[in-house]
Amino acid sequence: MTKWTGELILSLEDRAGKTVARNVYFQGAFKVMRPIYHDDSGKVCYYLLNPGGGYLDGDRYRMEITAEPGAQVTLTTQGATKVYKTPKDHAYQETTMSLKSGSYLEYLPDPLIAYKNATYRQKNIVRMERGATFLYTDILTPGWSPDGGQFAFDSVRLINEIYVDGEPAVFDNIRLSPADQRVGGLGFMEGYTHLGSMIAIGEQTTDNLVDALHGLLAETSEGDQVKFGISRLAVPGFSIRILARSTGKIEKMLNACHKRISEEWLGLTPASLRKY
Amino acid sequence: MTERLLALFQLCDSNLPTGSFSHSFGLETYIQDNTVTDSESFEEWLSCYLEEQLAYTDGIACRMVYDALEAGDLDAVSAIGAKLHVQNLPRETRQGTRMIGEGMLKLFSRLYDFPFLTDYGRLVKEKRTVPHPAIVFAITAHGLGCSREEAVLYHFYGTVSGLIQNAVRAIPLGQTAGQMLLNRIRPLLRQTAEKALTLPDEDFGLVAPGLELSQMQHERVNVRIFMS
Repeated sequence: MTKWTGELILSLEDRAGKTVARNVYFQGAFKVMRPIYHDDSGKVCYYLLNPGGGYLDGDRYRMEITAEPGAQVTLTTQGATKVYKTPKDHAYQETTMSLKSGSYLEYLPDPLIAYKNATYRQKNIVRMERGATFLYTDILTPGWSPDGGQFAFDSVRLINEIYVDGEPAVFDNIRLSPADQRVGGLGFMEGYTHLGSMIAIGEQTTDNLVDALHGLLAETSEGDQVKFGISRLAVPGFSIRILARSTGKIEKMLNACHKRISEEWLGLTPASLRKY
Repeated sequence: MTERLLALFQLCDSNLPTGSFSHSFGLETYIQDNTVTDSESFEEWLSCYLEEQLAYTDGIACRMVYDALEAGDLDAVSAIGAKLHVQNLPRETRQGTRMIGEGMLKLFSRLYDFPFLTDYGRLVKEKRTVPHPAIVFAITAHGLGCSREEAVLYHFYGTVSGLIQNAVRAIPLGQTAGQMLLNRIRPLLRQTAEKALTLPDEDFGLVAPGLELSQMQHERVNVRIFMS
């Protein structure tokens, strides 16, 4: 059995129009701050924190989030996920999210920064019922190295598996292993350094929304050197990818999309989540 | 052996009527933005497509299909098809791949009546899986008595020679330049096929971000001769 470095179990339900925790449990190097209500919509926001400041050699983290019918929740982090060198064993984080019909869960973590000689794996497993809405973003950076070099980490892998009513809906498997890939080359990172993604699943998805988001992405890219794309998924929903040269650029573009989606799907203008 | 080779020549023919001549898998985006302009830049794209996309999708899928067929487990084949479909995030390449898979299944089912191919065709018809060219090819190659090494290599060859023909029309390249490229890329084909067989399950569907983005962007490319 895995011995978890940090564990978090959180289940949320709707109580008379306000989303509240039914169960919160955490142990080890994982914590959530008290819930925050940014507005009077009843949607709750939880900030995850890693008191240790980063992931270390062999660390194992686990999260289990459940959104009951009608629950509306934002889950984010308090700062970038930092993975320090892992000389013996990779660091790992596994998140299982269960969304009941009529729930809304958005998981919007800060960027991932892998340090020199770090190996990190992350797996998100999302099980949705039809009628639930899920929104996810991530940002992969070229990491950090004492000599200022980029892509000095050994390997970073991000896996997203999403099921709707038990059927596979999205499978996304990204791995950056700079030593054995032509990371900079045509077809791969193509000279860009940061990779941003958004995956959204909701019955409410329309071609109009996808077109509007494409327009917003073009507008917020401000003619800078970025490469972006948006496309509809095999289930109602869409994915966005952005290749850019800074975290800020990707955040700006994804935030604009997030705002538009919140307005259209929840009738809400989201509060700024960033805390620094 | 000769009989099987002749059968494989037919299945790998770039003129095979499966609809693949209508799909560029994002190549057209690179042609439109002048990144791919000649034989050299196309070879760079093709090498990346082969090593960073096909190996992790079609290559691993072929190997998994062989594992499943040897265990007589068609449910596993269905699951591989579903996973191949949903890991293909760009809509046009996902739908295009499905259409080619359907076309190939229809044709190969007319040519051969291997029991697994018939059973797979029924699963597709009952919408219990999504047809995919790598799966249809692997099942047919298995029926012909090919090893898994042969199956992956010939499937890669058929796919790559089809893409070269598309590039000859679209860039355009001379027919001779296309043939020279097909000749030149042979070592990489063999090397990638060998590597694909050793890749672990966890590498299934690994994304090449630039390729995937160009496949998404193709939806909004102005001048299009391809459907993806």
